[in-house]
Amino acid sequence: MVDVAAEVPAGPTGPGDATRRVRRGPLGFAITLVIALAVFAGVGLLFHAQTYSSPVGTQVATKVGTSTVNGVAMQHVSLHFNTYPDASGSVNGVPIHPGGNQSWPSYGPTNQYQVPAHALVTVTIRQYDSGGSLNNPWFDKVRGTVGGTARINGKVVTSINPNNVGHTFTVRGTPGTDPGFFLNVPLPLVPGDSQADNGKYETIVFSFVSGDKGLYAWNCEFPCGTSIAGFGGPMNAFGYMSGFVHVV
Amino acid sequence: MSSDPSGAEEPPVLEQGDSIVARRPFFSGPAGKIFIIWFLMTTVGVLIGIFAPHHLLPTLLSTEGTDVWRTMVLFTILAAPVAAFVYAVAAYSLIGWRHRGNQDEPPEDGPPLRGNSTVTAIWLGVSSVLVLVLLAWGLAVYSAESVSPPHSLQIDVTGQQWVWTFSYPGTGVETRSLVLPINRPVQFNVTSVDVTHGFWPVDLGVQVDANPGVVTVIRATPDKLGKFTVRCSQLCGLYHSFMYAPGSVVTAAQFSQWLQSEGASTTTAQATALVKQ
Amino acid sequence: MTTDLTRPLLLEDTPIGPTAGGFYRRQNVYTGLAAGILLGFVGWLISNAMLEGSNWGTDMVVTVTMVGWVIGFNLGVGTFNAPLRWMLGHDQTYEDELYAAGVGQGRKRYYKFCTDHKVVGTQYLVLVVVLFAIGGTLAMMMRTQLITPHTDFLSANAYNAIVSIHGMCMIIATIIMVTGPFTNFVMPIMIGAKDMAFPRLNAMSFWVVVSAIPPLLATFVLGGVDAGWTTYAPLSVQAPPAMDAFAITMIVFVISVTVSGVNSIVTVLTMRAKGMTLGRLPIFTWASLVGAALSIYAMPALLIAFTSMITDRVVGTSFFVAGQGGTGWLWENAFWIFGHPEVYIILIPPVGAMLEVASTFARKPLFGYKVTIAAFVAVAALSIMVWAHHMFTTGWAPELAGPFMVTTEIISIPTGIIFLCLIGTLWKGRIWTRLPMYFVYLFLWNFIIGGVTGIYLSDTPADEFFHGDMFVTAHFHYTLLGGAMIAATAGLCYWFPKITGKMLNERIGKTAFWIIAIGIQVTYFGMFWEGFEGMPRRVAFYDPIFQHANDMATVGAYMLMLGWIVLLYAGINSLRHGPVAPANPWHSKTLEWKVPTPVPLVNFLVDPVVTSDPYGYGEPEPVGPLIIPPPHPDRELVPNLSSDNPLAKDDG
Repeated sequence: MVDVAAEVPAGPTGPGDATRRVRRGPLGFAITLVIALAVFAGVGLLFHAQTYSSPVGTQVATKVGTSTVNGVAMQHVSLHFNTYPDASGSVNGVPIHPGGNQSWPSYGPTNQYQVPAHALVTVTIRQYDSGGSLNNPWFDKVRGTVGGTARINGKVVTSINPNNVGHTFTVRGTPGTDPGFFLNVPLPLVPGDSQADNGKYETIVFSFVSGDKGLYAWNCEFPCGTSIAGFGGPMNAFGYMSGFVHVV
Repeated sequence: MSSDPSGAEEPPVLEQGDSIVARRPFFSGPAGKIFIIWFLMTTVGVLIGIFAPHHLLPTLLSTEGTDVWRTMVLFTILAAPVAAFVYAVAAYSLIGWRHRGNQDEPPEDGPPLRGNSTVTAIWLGVSSVLVLVLLAWGLAVYSAESVSPPHSLQIDVTGQQWVWTFSYPGTGVETRSLVLPINRPVQFNVTSVDVTHGFWPVDLGVQVDANPGVVTVIRATPDKLGKFTVRCSQLCGLYHSFMYAPGSVVTAAQFSQWLQSEGASTTTAQATALVKQ
Repeated sequence: MTTDLTRPLLLEDTPIGPTAGGFYRRQNVYTGLAAGILLGFVGWLISNAMLEGSNWGTDMVVTVTMVGWVIGFNLGVGTFNAPLRWMLGHDQTYEDELYAAGVGQGRKRYYKFCTDHKVVGTQYLVLVVVLFAIGGTLAMMMRTQLITPHTDFLSANAYNAIVSIHGMCMIIATIIMVTGPFTNFVMPIMIGAKDMAFPRLNAMSFWVVVSAIPPLLATFVLGGVDAGWTTYAPLSVQAPPAMDAFAITMIVFVISVTVSGVNSIVTVLTMRAKGMTLGRLPIFTWASLVGAALSIYAMPALLIAFTSMITDRVVGTSFFVAGQGGTGWLWENAFWIFGHPEVYIILIPPVGAMLEVASTFARKPLFGYKVTIAAFVAVAALSIMVWAHHMFTTGWAPELAGPFMVTTEIISIPTGIIFLCLIGTLWKGRIWTRLPMYFVYLFLWNFIIGGVTGIYLSDTPADEFFHGDMFVTAHFHYTLLGGAMIAATAGLCYWFPKITGKMLNERIGKTAFWIIAIGIQVTYFGMFWEGFEGMPRRVAFYDPIFQHANDMATVGAYMLMLGWIVLLYAGINSLRHGPVAPANPWHSKTLEWKVPTPVPLVNFLVDPVVTSDPYGYGEPEPVGPLIIPPPHPDRELVPNLSSDNPLAKDDG
């Protein structure tokens, strides 16, 4: 009976040497750590610069003056943006998502807006897109604006036909930021059989009183995307039909 | 199988006690020390069970939430002795049975204990009994929560990417904030218009998924006044983080007023809010 | 022609140079890459040409391209060489087999389709480390995003994509972290076999899973999988084209795991040495066997689920689409019928490895060997009946919540037996606190916490609070990272000398151990805290009320990252500068320690005969596995094939 292991010469050093022999330890470790951190930072920057994060800047609201709402005097500012049938900005010729999907509908020229806290914000949206029916007709009502109304092509409305919706502009406070804040403005469609680039638009004007400082998230609740419920594609890619309102 | 005299006073593992060792004081032997460690750890575990859920959980506003808290306390207290026993043996093995000295070479072999059917049987018995207790508790609580009492307030919940809407049937009220009257069983009928969401009124201690095409049901009875948050517990796409709704538990009178402020007529508001139970 | 690899390898059999054959002797990972890219490109061209303007175009293009890549890579690397040659009427010659086994190719065999189970095991080990590095980097992305409630670091898209790929990358890595390296490298030697039962399938299982990784990473440039690793339908039907690549990854991965599972089972059942009865099998072999059997049961469910997902997305079926005859519950059921056994496919093999370590370093026989095997089998059997506890809050079949609560809580009884086995083995042992044993204790600490928190979640009323929140995340990280992965790390430290031929530097290793041990507690107690407070899982932005708990988890996560980097450094440092390992540094009694290090090609220069189980610590000799003296004087001429292991390169 022979144990094979006994025949094989043991290594020149015993197992205990493992605890003693550390050659080039600190330098080697530093190099390992630096490489690991560099990889981590590189991957992080890559993700940070991902094309499916928003490629466009922030629109800072223009000062208009001061106004009084319900007896409270406050700053009055205004925002102007549009909704396009595609992200190439073919209506005004400026690409909105230079590296992105050009065939998707998109808000433009930016999806990030900055307004002061507790100010009256008047928003003017030009809606260039066609549309259809909402998934949930609850969003056909104007909610959260001053007076609960919006002006569509000059006409004051509180709701629109849920089957003639182009997009909606729906804002809510993020968790921890003014949880009660909610704004929903349905944007009527431009009549036409497709997302036509015919240059026609609907003008929607409304005012709301901004909430506490913080980050507010907006998106569109009209199913203008792809796939089963119309919420694929642009609806689920940040920057097309979604964005932030920064209240400062 | 031979028995090692040094640990003979621990009844579960050794079949026969050794008379020489058995005369040693209990707490100086391994079994005694393990017992001390076990006792201390069990105490810590029980204290954690009593205090940690209370301090860590949010203020739970419903009877179902209170059940969650009770379950946490009970299960922690039941698990503490078992976990403490495993930890105590492991801890003692490092204190009392660790090979000291030259770590380059292995120590002598330990006693060839290949198993012990008594210990295994006791272990199986104890864990089975504990599992039975847990099951009895869980099944009892669950079956009690699975029945809608008569006169439950019905609320239809609709999830969609990324908004919750709540509708109070019969009143025409459909809102984004969830307002509930106190001490009134509520049945939530939950559905979705697109993908799967998780309807989770956090402080009520219940949740159910909102699935497209079907209505799922969950019940809760708020028993404390206060504000709470409805969150989405199922990843639902881009703005999952932002899918939440404010909620509050109010008195029946306030609830009736709130319904009217949301557009319900006085009669329907009062009929919905002030049900005799 | 006979392809008997078991006859003694003599000097005249070697060398078989790379020029001795045709093209297939020049194949390696680079030809695989080239062929994969080529065929992927062909698939892209064809699908684009055929589906111009079609509604499902993008999904079809991604699917066909990825399938092209997978087939091309495997053709290029040589996965299908032998079957293709059979189809062409050529048998594999003896020299072909020797070439495929890597004879005379030095370190090049690690970059090619090699049938030597030790090479496959080493390849798997590197792959697992790479996958953990990828998954860990993604985890750190998430924790960095969660430093503040609204960090402007990742977009919600990128965050969701990272959540999904972190999850699936780690699941793939943990499924193969023990069955890949250790079951392949160690298990055949443990049972006295010369190789796995099907060496070519063995190599195939590795290269197939390699080909599955690029599609997984490609999801990031295809819009990102935004549905989590569970990819619940219908969100995953709605997801960007990345989902198609993800599904291809999973289908290919299922093939790999199934092939490797069959291989393990057949190897254990048919390749054991003389005298290696089932009752003498080392516990790790039993664990591998049970894990493999469970994967044969579980993986097909995943295959069906992802195949249906692809057809839903590409050709417009509606298995998971509500209102068109489908339902998301179908996906959830199919996924968890795979998904819960999968947890035990991950867990059981590392636990077996950990018990080998415990027995060796407590210098005691395993306590309750047969009871432990029974516990493994019971866990495996019960685990196929508990899947719906992942669905307590989905609203599906509420009347089944009770029965599934019962099966789920009963599974804690056999799991408890494993703890009994562990502490029984420690009981009155001579605890030799070398590095592997550190990880055994860490496993014990973590897995108790993971188990107890699992009991809360198995209770339906409590689950209705905790489901879908960070408590669940913390729980399964305690079991899968703190439990399974730490047990696998114990196994890695234990078998490191045998696999690499070098001793692991324990001073650095113990530093890493303490950072990892504390890091796990800080990270996941932070997550428990988040969960108690009610923070949902998978959120890129959170309520500021969760800030403190998130701070704790983030700090812990950075500790964990540092710890694993230190451990990785310990491994690399030891490979380069570590002392050469003796054949049996731990004085263990299982067969893999009875063969020389590096292990020769056919493992055993002579056939071993086993006379007892390998746990005869403290029992009179001779009881351990014995080996009959070599019958042939030519044994010295056997080429020492593993001496040029690139992992064992000694530049000092």
